[in-house]
Amino acid sequence: MNVIDLQNVETIYEGESIPVIYNINLTVKAGEFLAIIGPNGAGKTTLLETINGILPYTAGRGFVLEKEIPIYKTAIRKEIGYVIQNFEIDPLAPFLSKDIVMSGRAGKIGMFRFVSKEDWEIVWYSMGLVGMIDFAHRPIGRLSGGEFQKILLARALAQKPKLLLLDEPFSNLDFSTRRQIEKLLNRIHEKQQMTIVIVSHDLSFIPSRCSRVIVLDQGKIIMDGEKEKILTSTMIDNIFHKKGVNQ
Amino acid sequence: MIDIPLALLFTSILGAVLAGFVCSTMGVFVVRMNLSSIGYCMSHAAFAGAAFGLMISVDSLISAMVFSFGVAFVLGPLSEKARLESNVVIGFLFSVMIALAFVFLNFIPGQAASGAALRILWGSIFSVGYNDLMFLLLLSFVLIFFIALFYKELLAVMFHRKLAESAGVNTKLFYFAVLFFTGFSVSLSLRLVGGLLVFALIINPTSTAYQFFYDFKKIMIFSPVIGIVSCLIGFWLSLITDFPIGASIVIVSAALFAFAIIISPKRRKWNGKQRKMGFKLNT
Ligand SMILES: Nc1ncnc2c1ncn2[C@@H]1O[C@H](COP(=O)(O)OP(=O)(O)O)[C@@H](O)[C@H]1O
Ligand SMILES: [Mg+2]
Repeated sequence: MNVIDLQNVETIYEGESIPVIYNINLTVKAGEFLAIIGPNGAGKTTLLETINGILPYTAGRGFVLEKEIPIYKTAIRKEIGYVIQNFEIDPLAPFLSKDIVMSGRAGKIGMFRFVSKEDWEIVWYSMGLVGMIDFAHRPIGRLSGGEFQKILLARALAQKPKLLLLDEPFSNLDFSTRRQIEKLLNRIHEKQQMTIVIVSHDLSFIPSRCSRVIVLDQGKIIMDGEKEKILTSTMIDNIFHKKGVNQ
Repeated sequence: MIDIPLALLFTSILGAVLAGFVCSTMGVFVVRMNLSSIGYCMSHAAFAGAAFGLMISVDSLISAMVFSFGVAFVLGPLSEKARLESNVVIGFLFSVMIALAFVFLNFIPGQAASGAALRILWGSIFSVGYNDLMFLLLLSFVLIFFIALFYKELLAVMFHRKLAESAGVNTKLFYFAVLFFTGFSVSLSLRLVGGLLVFALIINPTSTAYQFFYDFKKIMIFSPVIGIVSCLIGFWLSLITDFPIGASIVIVSAALFAFAIIISPKRRKWNGKQRKMGFKLNT
């Protein structure tokens, strides 16, 4: 089964005229672990948010779990766990970590239904997976960057998603936390056969179980293939080097 | 101190309690969702609407709601997109509403014009009627029901709207529900607190509660408690000093907020506590 199937997809932000991503053809099978790499501004976040329908595509067709995205976006989203790119959290934010993890299940549980004991069990299980049980009652504004990142990951996992979208989950983390999360993703992929798409702008952090890499540059897919081949290709050097100098 | 018949006193106290409850309950959402400027505009629209009602001799409650929802209808979709122009439009509508309110007030017919005008400007304990009380009571129950039923969705939206949306929550629905209930709350509290100050009753108690609690549930409970207490103390202050009721309620709620800022455990202690408990940062 195809978990993601994009056919000639193009996305233009509202009020803009130039597409940020275009000619996107991408098929992802169930159980794949895929990395999308590319320099800042390449359109990686835009691509992820086109997949979960937060941004409507403006041309082509897109399917997730064999359902057309714009038509079934609410149903689709309940099956997609999304870890958003790092955002600043207000240190006074009035939320406890466990409630944030539970908030991932809000859509899945459904309207007019209350949170049940089983829902809490799933929440505790996800917090355990990321090693954050001890932080359950800690306000989120009082977590370090790495702890917060793990809570966001637990939040996505609590959804019991079929597809996990991670937008630069390693940014702003120190080396050892990166390794921890990387190991965790490997384990989740191995045990739960989840389909995982991870976005990274850092070539050195692609989890070992990730076997396929897609290179996005200036809004289009310029390479798609096995990780080893792509990471050793000379084009990679050019893209990342060029951008590095420009910025 | 003025002598007041007991029944009137009871009506006014109950009115103050309920107004405090609905406004400071909605405040929790308005503050957290950054809807302050929109809410501010809506409450001034309600004020203009009430003045319009007095001018054309319609129930000012209804005209206040119509104006306030009208503004929500224009600003809601604009602000939702977080576009630059929404701020311009908010500023524009805000000034237009104030100007309209004063024009309408000027044309209120009859002898009691200045009295009625002053009442919707500053609020009055005498203007809370039986109908207002019933509507406030109804709104209070609807709000409790709404929050209890949709607590998980509301919490998700309060935390992060895009993440809530991406987990399959219909965030638009809750966004507009919050605007809608805010419009009701300000319109119903307007006659008690006054058009110029009613929004303070939305912001102040909530901001006070945010100084003390990290748990959303506790904020959901204590914001209305603080709102009710502000209204009751304000009511009493108004009785003994002859201050306008709206002004005394707002002064009390502002004083509570200032006090909260000073003693806030959230702003002071955490670092010390964290060290004592041996938490590590940067893990
Ligand atoms: N809300 C927006 N409106 C208009 N343009 C945007 C918006 N968000 C991002 N862009 C533009 O889209 C391009 C790709 O952005 P993004 O997908 O965030 O890149 P990446 O995640 O690869 O760094 C950038 O040039 C950015 O300026
Ligand atoms: Mg990005």
